[in-house]
Amino acid sequence: MDFSLSEEQEMLKTAAREFLEKECPEDVVREAEEGDLGYRPDLWRKIADLGWLGLAYPEQYGGTGGSFLDLAVLYEEMGRAMFPSPHLSTVALCGLTILAAGKEQQKRDLLPKIAKGELIMALALTEPESSWDGRAWDAEGVTVPATRDGTAYIINGTKLFVHDGHIADYFLCVARTAAGRRPEAGITLFLVDAKSRGIRCTPLKTTAGDKQCEVVFNKVRVPRKNIVGRLNGGWAPLARVLKQGAVLVCAEMVGAEQRLLELTVDYAKTRIQFDMPIGINQYVQEHCVNLLSYLEGARWTTYEAAWRLSEGLPCDMEVAMAKAWTSDGHEKVCWHAHQVHAGVGYTIDDGVLPLYSRRGKTLQYYLGDATYHLKKVAEQMEKWPTLERPKGRPLGLWKIPEEEQIPVWQPWRERWDRLQKRREEIRQAEKKARA
Amino acid sequence: MDFGFTAEQEKLRKEIHDFFANELPEDYATHISPVTRELQAFFLQLQNKAGQKRYLTPGWPREYGGMGLSAVEQGIMQEEEAYFGIVWPASLALRLLGPGLILFGTEEQKKEFIPAIARGEQIWFEAFTEPEAGTDEANQQTRAIPDGDYYVVNGQKTFISGAYKPHYLFTEVRTADVIPKHRGLSVFMIPANLPGITIRPLPTMGFGLQNEIFFDDVRVPKKNMLGELNRGFYHVMEIFTFERSGTGGPAGAIRNLREFVQFCKREKRNGKRLIDDPDVRMMLAQMAVENEVRHLIGWHAQWWFGQRQRLGPKPYDLSGFFQKLLTTRHAEMMSRILGMYGQLRTGSKYAKHDGRTERSWEVTRSLHAAGTFEVNKIVLAGRGLGLPRVPAKFNKQITEALQQER
Repeated sequence: MDFSLSEEQEMLKTAAREFLEKECPEDVVREAEEGDLGYRPDLWRKIADLGWLGLAYPEQYGGTGGSFLDLAVLYEEMGRAMFPSPHLSTVALCGLTILAAGKEQQKRDLLPKIAKGELIMALALTEPESSWDGRAWDAEGVTVPATRDGTAYIINGTKLFVHDGHIADYFLCVARTAAGRRPEAGITLFLVDAKSRGIRCTPLKTTAGDKQCEVVFNKVRVPRKNIVGRLNGGWAPLARVLKQGAVLVCAEMVGAEQRLLELTVDYAKTRIQFDMPIGINQYVQEHCVNLLSYLEGARWTTYEAAWRLSEGLPCDMEVAMAKAWTSDGHEKVCWHAHQVHAGVGYTIDDGVLPLYSRRGKTLQYYLGDATYHLKKVAEQMEKWPTLERPKGRPLGLWKIPEEEQIPVWQPWRERWDRLQKRREEIRQAEKKARA
Repeated sequence: MDFGFTAEQEKLRKEIHDFFANELPEDYATHISPVTRELQAFFLQLQNKAGQKRYLTPGWPREYGGMGLSAVEQGIMQEEEAYFGIVWPASLALRLLGPGLILFGTEEQKKEFIPAIARGEQIWFEAFTEPEAGTDEANQQTRAIPDGDYYVVNGQKTFISGAYKPHYLFTEVRTADVIPKHRGLSVFMIPANLPGITIRPLPTMGFGLQNEIFFDDVRVPKKNMLGELNRGFYHVMEIFTFERSGTGGPAGAIRNLREFVQFCKREKRNGKRLIDDPDVRMMLAQMAVENEVRHLIGWHAQWWFGQRQRLGPKPYDLSGFFQKLLTTRHAEMMSRILGMYGQLRTGSKYAKHDGRTERSWEVTRSLHAAGTFEVNKIVLAGRGLGLPRVPAKFNKQITEALQQER
């Protein structure tokens, strides 16, 4: 049992924090929202040079061979800075899927390019119906078909809430290639050139002002060689990456929450009203303490899940718990921060609080919200083994409820009552004597 | 970072687990309080058996009768004890007195008390609370006046937890009238059978027992003082850092939920299992997540305790916060799942889950114990986050100003 980061992880954390504090102040975040690109290509190149894109790829694919836990540490810092970038889409959701499922040649072709910052990718998974029905991240939610046509497949349908669709060079499109009893068994991953004919990508208007897109695949032709991995074998590797992605999103929320705690406590200590810092008010303190409690829970559930993913241990339960708690908790953290900041946290031209709060909405729902993951937790709870009973010979001491037994303190109680009675008698006798 | 255990640690866990699994009877029930003579006798003999194996004092150095285990290993033992719902009759002595003696006791005191405590032979009450000194712990009025080789103690303690007859009382009394108040307190180890001591039982909700203790001219030998005269408050503060919320509480909560989930898998309502009801499912899942948070926070505190030489004092510990918040919430959620049946007590006709839920709910009214939820939050805010407080020296002025206003 060890809650500390390794020395390398501490160095990565410090380096990331320093870089982002310098290169990603508030206005960079603001510009990303207001502009069309949603990220800074020059910063993307810089972090490629720092090795942040190939961090979790093996060296033979252009990476530095780091662990998934290292990636989580990086994401915490990126979340703290609200760093706008297609890292999650490209490096994690698409890149890790290619790493897990891709044919050898695909890995050699694509991963080094991703690591060098030469390729941006977007995962096209969720659909209008599935996002509404609570099946966005389940195999049953994938209905957009890819139909065989000679040496190609025709993809025809709409994907919704596709992050970074507007800047992607390639989509990793999750399509249905077979119907059957098991929904997982008919899903194929396609690498789709974003310039293909028939693709229309439109950013949605979201709370966070991030570029989540509607991507319409209108009879888009994709060569068979662009299948990533096996035909009908796409779901299993993707499912694991979705868990990894969920934990990375949790790490972003933890980073944001850490900064929100610091900002809120600082404000409570320095904002003077009625000649006193407002933090002296216990209702204000309550907000800070509650905020802290959500952060602490988020931090450790997230890192436990990240560690288990890193170690290749079973972790369906832990991932679901981390995302359920953190998604829910993040909304509450933002709310508590707003309560303490009051007026200064509400105006949008100045100040980071609305930025955190609005981005929080994306993170809360991305890769499964609390409702979705609590259902997963419940599924895992079904599998809990029965508790074993102790093995000693039965003694029959625990059957009868206490009310029908004489408690062992009954004599003390009676002694006390007798004592009180005697004292009362003495009091009465003295009263009589005086009269 | 590592959320797992070594092979050695798993071996220790199995050893403790098997001890309890073999010693406890098949019909053992964690939710029945040891109120009868027979139940108390059972736990006392189990305590003796555990004492012989040094299981009662895993963290104490070997020369004091302990196992010399690390913080993480102690955490494992706490978890196994909590899994089986074991609360040792001598737990106060084991958790507080023992460490207190190790820290502040004279050689004679250590020789007199430590071996007996380690073997589980002594029941101690921890008597710090008074009618006028609850959260304001330093406001103790019970006085000890020196008289030759003795102190003469007069006063009253209340809400002292303990259902077993005590051998000794670990008490804080006023030995000097000074401002600030906490600088005039000393701690004593008082034999419970001295003349002048009267104990009055105060049964509580949830079949627990607290006690009132009256001191009428009780002559306590001077050598029974622990530590220095008038430094008692500071000794107690240091001893209470050993009052580790740790890993036991969360393990008990996890166990209780697992039992309840088992119940929900068996029990039917409207033709389907309780666990298949979507509302119930969501509540169970929510509780499982919250228990996991408690589990991790508890282990974080336990791990930090083992690393405290290197890391310094832990800036804040949310164990108590989550215990108080979530115990209440969970007991109420489970009670709601049972609806009207949630009221039925253990042994009642029609009671479901043998009334465990009703019992858990009753106990939630005791979360003020060992520091109220409010004080917990105030400490987190003040000491944990550095938020400001009105200095205590202004309190009297404020009270006077309020009275004048009226």
